[in-house]
Amino acid sequence: MHSQNPPMGVGDDVKLASQNAASGAQPHQQMDGAQAHEGETFAKLYAQLRPQCEALIAQYEEKRSALLPMMHLFQEHEGYVSHDAMRAAAEMLDLSPAVVESTVSFYTLFFRKPVGKYVLQVCRGLMCELRGAEEIHKYFREKLGVGHLETTDDGLFSYEEVECLAACDRATCMQVNLEFVYDLTPQMIDEMIDLMRAGTYKTKPMAQTAKPGRTWKVDQDLQVSRGGKAPGTLNSTRPNNAGGVGDSSGVIMLDRFVTNIGFSPARTHERTVRDARGVYELAEEGSNNNAGH
Amino acid sequence: MPVTKVLTEGIGEANLRDIDVYRQRGGYVQWERAVRELTPAQVMEAADKSGLRGRGGAGFPTGRKWGFLPNNGKPRYLVCNCDEAEPGTFKDHMLLEQTPHLVLEGILLGAYGIGCTHAYIYIRGEFKEGYEIFTKALADARAAGMFGKKLFGTDYSLEVTAHRGAGAYICGEETGLLNSLEGKRGEPRLKPPFPAIAGLYGMPTVVNNVETLAYLVPVLKNGAEWFSSVGTERSKGYKIVSVSGHVQKPGNYEMPLGTTVREIIEIAGGLLPGRKFAAVQPGGQSSACIFEEHLDYPYDYESMAKAGSMLGSGAFTVFDDSTDFVKAAFNSVRFYAHESCGQCTPCREGGHWLERVLHRFVEGRGLASDLEMIERVGTTITGLNLCALGDSIEPFLISVFRRFKPQFEARIQREEAVGV
Repeated sequence: MHSQNPPMGVGDDVKLASQNAASGAQPHQQMDGAQAHEGETFAKLYAQLRPQCEALIAQYEEKRSALLPMMHLFQEHEGYVSHDAMRAAAEMLDLSPAVVESTVSFYTLFFRKPVGKYVLQVCRGLMCELRGAEEIHKYFREKLGVGHLETTDDGLFSYEEVECLAACDRATCMQVNLEFVYDLTPQMIDEMIDLMRAGTYKTKPMAQTAKPGRTWKVDQDLQVSRGGKAPGTLNSTRPNNAGGVGDSSGVIMLDRFVTNIGFSPARTHERTVRDARGVYELAEEGSNNNAGH
Repeated sequence: MPVTKVLTEGIGEANLRDIDVYRQRGGYVQWERAVRELTPAQVMEAADKSGLRGRGGAGFPTGRKWGFLPNNGKPRYLVCNCDEAEPGTFKDHMLLEQTPHLVLEGILLGAYGIGCTHAYIYIRGEFKEGYEIFTKALADARAAGMFGKKLFGTDYSLEVTAHRGAGAYICGEETGLLNSLEGKRGEPRLKPPFPAIAGLYGMPTVVNNVETLAYLVPVLKNGAEWFSSVGTERSKGYKIVSVSGHVQKPGNYEMPLGTTVREIIEIAGGLLPGRKFAAVQPGGQSSACIFEEHLDYPYDYESMAKAGSMLGSGAFTVFDDSTDFVKAAFNSVRFYAHESCGQCTPCREGGHWLERVLHRFVEGRGLASDLEMIERVGTTITGLNLCALGDSIEPFLISVFRRFKPQFEARIQREEAVGV
């Protein structure tokens, strides 16, 4: 468990790691307890949503395609994607629960632990940064007293700085429970937070069926956001250790990768264009021979 | 000023989400005409002759892309790519929310053109509002008999399904998108086989961008020649350019391809008062920056390539002299490191590596020896990946790194690493 031995990360992640270490393993245990308690309620929810799930499955030629829409549906009702929901989806789609979890965890909009009633996702894309996003981030963090990927103690707000939201003409932008808010100013943030606290904000709060912990990311996700996807870059405070200042083991690895595996140095898109011509011939062949795959 | 309104016509003036308003303005006329009077081959021919090229980023000729489909009797699929997540691009977001019926009509025409009976649109997970608007448009259009079984009294039946993603930039890559649509992780596939041969559910599939498909409507209305008479020699027609960054009026502007870079900046209201021009990123986060010497280049596929960059999805970001390019480079690399699916080592490791090195520079703790390393690692990642995400790390980073090297050098703390 990472919280016993938190790896150091960059910037926000360092803060998050240390805060997690301080709070120990609490969020995890809380959630497991909550889920055991939820068992009966889930059975009811499952029975209620089953017809909708079946309608979703019927939309596709292959039923596995319904996985994402089903998870959206469960998250709408539960506020997050619970283990029960993933097990239910696995059962309906004839998949193993592990396959379902491996898919669900790929996508950033599925929360695998409870989150706040208002999920505030503020854009950190370059175009927003050019128009002052950093000030907005700072304002939010101070106002809410939490950092990136964290939930406030009252369980009302979850805060995340997200990648480009495709509204760069109205930077800085954000989403509240996936509804856009544009042209952010500190004054707007004050008003928004006040209304949310009073329960009168225009966007509907998320369902909340279990108490959120400090963060909704599970251990593995946190490792990824710290660079755990790239084991070579795990940070260290000591220079010249792996990932430390001046370490070049990643560079050496890349060099070896290039020389030993012997990839052609053609740019990927050039390769794509070149191969596209190949496809054309292949397509011709397909039409002549009626060759299948 | 060469701002034109083709797809953007009526946006902001009329409620185009309402099917009746859309039909009063001539909506679905081309669709009905196509099904009643034209053969699929004629629709495909119009797309081909118009010179329309993919508006999602690659710029591949649309008609040729359709022509790759084999005639092997297998079901074919059309998938509309509305997973708009390229930083700086916000045109599909606008089209989906403001004129959903135009998007749908484009999909219907594309589906008819390739002879498909079930089309999908993959909508970015964050566009929940857009998804709801489009789902409503689908229901209205179905009720009006625009798609479904035995259309307009012919034997042609067509089904359209809207599918919402759940947050992953990589699902904008066409094979990543197909995997995601199949309910899997959105990891790009090894190509070949290309989607034209084995795409969705292993069947021949065409993946087209929202804007590309939407242009089929005016192309059929006004004829292929109308479209191909505009633009430059090899870049025909119009393009919605998403202008953002340090300009007075950021926004979506539709214009003929070949408008100069300088004109586009003017169209968006020019630079902020008292600032000087530094650079333009002409094709989204994945493109290299172009500079002062390129201001009079026409904005088309070829000229942008000649300037060392690309037109991409038409995201046009302006940087003025107040920009901290070290921070900008860090932001860009952090994005790719975050969005890498992790399949290919150079992208997974290289991206994270550069993110960390650049973070050091942002904090003013750079090493002199890093300068050479940034350049080497940046260019090494390119060309070694399954998809273009890894290749996209290099262009912006290296272009600003070379051009604004003094900004990087100013953040150097010492020559080399010390200790242990």
